[in-house]
Amino acid sequence: MIPPSTFTSRPTYLSLQPAAGPGRHWLVLQVGNVSDTLLAELAQAFAPVQARLHIVWVGAGEGAPQQAASLPGLVPYGPVLALPDLAALPKALAQQPVLVSDRLYVLGTEPFVWAVADVASHVGWTHAQWQLCHTGSLQRKVWCTHCHNITEGVTSSIVTCAGCGRNLLVRDHFSARHGAFMGVMVDAEVPGVLPEAEEIFP
Amino acid sequence: MIGQTLKLQVHSLQDIAPGLRHLRLLSVDGAALPPTGAGAHVQLSLPGTARVHRNAYSLVNAPGSRSAYDLIVRRVPTSRGGSAAVHERLQVGDVVEALWPGNLFAPVRRASRHLMIAGGIGITPFLSYVQDATVRQAGFALHVCCRESEQDVFAPWLGSTEGVQFHWNAEGHRLDIAALLTEQPAGTHLYVCGPEALNTAVLQAAEAAGWPANQVHTEHFGGAQTGGTAFEAVLQKSAIRVQVGEDESLLEAIERVGVAAPCLCRGGACGVCALQVLDGEPEHRDHFLSAAERASQKLVMPCVSRARSAHLVLDL
Repeated sequence: MIPPSTFTSRPTYLSLQPAAGPGRHWLVLQVGNVSDTLLAELAQAFAPVQARLHIVWVGAGEGAPQQAASLPGLVPYGPVLALPDLAALPKALAQQPVLVSDRLYVLGTEPFVWAVADVASHVGWTHAQWQLCHTGSLQRKVWCTHCHNITEGVTSSIVTCAGCGRNLLVRDHFSARHGAFMGVMVDAEVPGVLPEAEEIFP
Repeated sequence: MIGQTLKLQVHSLQDIAPGLRHLRLLSVDGAALPPTGAGAHVQLSLPGTARVHRNAYSLVNAPGSRSAYDLIVRRVPTSRGGSAAVHERLQVGDVVEALWPGNLFAPVRRASRHLMIAGGIGITPFLSYVQDATVRQAGFALHVCCRESEQDVFAPWLGSTEGVQFHWNAEGHRLDIAALLTEQPAGTHLYVCGPEALNTAVLQAAEAAGWPANQVHTEHFGGAQTGGTAFEAVLQKSAIRVQVGEDESLLEAIERVGVAAPCLCRGGACGVCALQVLDGEPEHRDHFLSAAERASQKLVMPCVSRARSAHLVLDL
């Protein structure tokens, strides 16, 4: 669970629940970050819409079979489309024209779910059509306000920017477009004098 | 600049069909008018037999035009005075007061496509939509439910009829709302403007067809139903008691006694006029307050809503 934030841009995540309506449901899961318990909960929640459910399993790695044989808990819902990585997702999500009644449900780390949302928006989905849910690591993508580069996999309150090398304070200020948190130079007044970095996004 | 007034002069009045009058207004001093966007409306103060009627009308001009305001007014048999004033009393050369235009029904710029459904005179906001470059570029479909004889009336604004389909009440010509709303591409925005029954039918069909609520937009006709049982309104801060007559709205009664009450659409849609209720039971007729706000009985929209109780005490 992510602790509540005073930043209004900080997303809050609810558990995934299939929406009412006649459309198709696409469930996009991140390999390695969805526990068996969570899969069982998903299986129960999505049972009423299983006839219209498409499951996509992202991050299975190169050489993964196109159709994974099964997914624990979601076995009864038929074949699962396994994709090696996120790069394969746009094609998979755009295979059929997306309709207003279709819904997208994404479960994984925060950088993952927002990356999927970004892909979806580029192939015609709108934000009212998706539900995002965070699970697994709290690690963040950090967007540097100085050089505009992204530093991936950040676990500490202060991080060295992968772009410009500045020491950045990781704020709770979140950009949905970047799927990243704001990083601001922390030792601008006195270079080298900075608070101790804490491991707060394990 | 809500609240500033304009002086407009009637340049022409033309009956474009039985009961439909096209009205062109220019600024009295010849200055350029405030620009308007697709879906905008202007609130006119129209001279009535006993009092001034304030009604909001959609502008049918091309977006951005500043030389004139064009509107089309249907004659309503049970008119409270606004449409009767336009059809019976207004003459070329008359000067009417208007508020700066407002817009509560603008097309959504990020829509990938625009699907519009008009009922009768509810076509007016869409006449400016179809002249809007963004709407045309994204692509649109306009479904008009009207009398069979009125199909050609709006041709001067529609330009080509590409993307426009007419429906009327005859076998094989009725609009199948459910079929239309099924299988629309994601990113499409739906707009409906028409009589209450059509609006409700479309909103319900959209929900059943799985449309995200933020992609569905509606504009209701104002003034359809503002009359009712007379009651007394008590304006607490102003220390004024005012009788609200059977054929006037609460807002009109408040204005009659000279108390300033901000308002914009006068049709229960925008929420600008909402007032705090201190005592009494409001009869809600607006489209703005949420179910919870209605149930709390703490707010009332005086432009359309009335009172179930004999007295309504307002924080005004």
